[in-house]
Amino acid sequence: MTQHDQGTLAKLVHDARKPLNQISMNSELIKLIAEQPDSQQQIIEIANTIIKATKECSELLQTLVEQGNDE
Amino acid sequence: MKTVLLVDDDHDFAELACRIVEYLGHDACLANDLASARQWLETQSFDHIFLDFMLPDGSGLHLVDEIRAAGIRTPITMVTGHPSVKSALSQLCHDGLNYLTKPVDADDFRNALSPSKNKAKRTESQAHFGVLLGESTKMKHLYKMIERVAGTDANVMLMGESGVGKEMFARAIHNASTVTGDLVNVNCGAIPKDLIGSELFGHEKGAFTGANAQKVGVFEQAENGTLFLDELTEMPIEQQPNLLRVLETHTVTRVGGTKPIKVNCRVISATNRSVEDIATNDVLREDIYFRLAVFPIHIPPLRERKEDIPLLAEHFLQGLNKKGNSQYVIKAADMSRLVEYDWPGNVRELKHTIHRAYIMADHDDHSLVFDANFASPFAQAKRMVEHAQLNRASIPPQVGTSSRANAIQVPTPEMKPGKTIEEVERELIYQTLESVEGNKTLAARMLGISTKTLYNRLNAYEGETQS
Repeated sequence: MTQHDQGTLAKLVHDARKPLNQISMNSELIKLIAEQPDSQQQIIEIANTIIKATKECSELLQTLVEQGNDE
Repeated sequence: MKTVLLVDDDHDFAELACRIVEYLGHDACLANDLASARQWLETQSFDHIFLDFMLPDGSGLHLVDEIRAAGIRTPITMVTGHPSVKSALSQLCHDGLNYLTKPVDADDFRNALSPSKNKAKRTESQAHFGVLLGESTKMKHLYKMIERVAGTDANVMLMGESGVGKEMFARAIHNASTVTGDLVNVNCGAIPKDLIGSELFGHEKGAFTGANAQKVGVFEQAENGTLFLDELTEMPIEQQPNLLRVLETHTVTRVGGTKPIKVNCRVISATNRSVEDIATNDVLREDIYFRLAVFPIHIPPLRERKEDIPLLAEHFLQGLNKKGNSQYVIKAADMSRLVEYDWPGNVRELKHTIHRAYIMADHDDHSLVFDANFASPFAQAKRMVEHAQLNRASIPPQVGTSSRANAIQVPTPEMKPGKTIEEVERELIYQTLESVEGNKTLAARMLGISTKTLYNRLNAYEGETQS
């Protein structure tokens, strides 16, 4: 693996952390909101954000695979 | 509720963090770069700042320097998304500056916003009379007794095993009473015999060789306050009449002095001996006992108030955490072991066990590491002696059938390696006879031998001594 490759990988990992953090912290938020009354709608919205973030993360991993195949 | 400033260029993170902080009951303000953070800081004051390490217009550390240079001591938590920066950050962190790595969960925010200091306050406010911890029924009963006696000027005698916290109880009584003077502590066992007089009553200059200056005794030091005589029963009995005089006349005369000085203080004394022990072993004059034990308080050993162990353990750990600026915890499994153990050394032993586990603590999972066996060498030795006594005590009921034999305590012969079985047997026979006032039938029954054998043995012993 060249230095350039390592740099790209590090950037990808960093980018992937962003949606992962979102997933984790949104889950925390659900835990907090669930204790409140009438929170159903909010929880659904947060769950949607989480799903969006997982897709984002999945796409990033796909780019990683494709970049590996290109070389 | 606290006002929190969040500085992060990751909009999603910042917004999420904001919502979590708000759900935890705090107010949050948002800034996406250093410039807007500076604006916030100019217009209002914050109780806590969460700061990203790398921001579009510079490093978060620059802002830390600026804030500190302005003399603002607001606690700051650095937040980073790069775990690799973690170790570098941890070296930078010191008092008032902490760090977190993303993802940050609700507990991280919670801990950052209410650090252990708040927890320490919690137990301090739980402490009764400022010093005593425990919510067990036994302790609550004692709190009531302390309240009652504090309102009077009666002398108190504290009785309890070593390590139960007699000094703390003395402090509690002192705190609860509305006296103006100080609490003066004296350990009667630690004063050299010849100096007891001078220590308690003071001395005049030149009273004896080495008395270069006048000395005020502890009774005078405790004027209008409380004098705590720890280990009272270790005071040599021949010194005790002097003490009695003070207690009866409320005056002291300094060694080498001529003028009696009026004294006024409550005397709290403490001993780790039981009343029976005091009565039988002649360690305390009876008249002194009555003077000092106007109000005796028995402090229960820790094993009789096990429900207080978690509270005490947490309290000791918090003290260590605060001192060492650490965040160690006690694992649930260890806590139940602490509760199960019978603590022959009482609270003192518990405190030392926690301290030892703190020193051995695991840095990775932030928990205390306890020894497989808590028992100190002292405790082990004590237990072996008790075990041996228990075994011996169980002998008479097995051999003796009459209820009277059961009720008699057999004096234990001195067992020492180097003695022959015959010697021990002989000692046991004589001591058993003594305990039943020479009744040979009863003694034989207790010893588990026939009366004939007992006579034979005694005849043989007499033959030996005559020859």
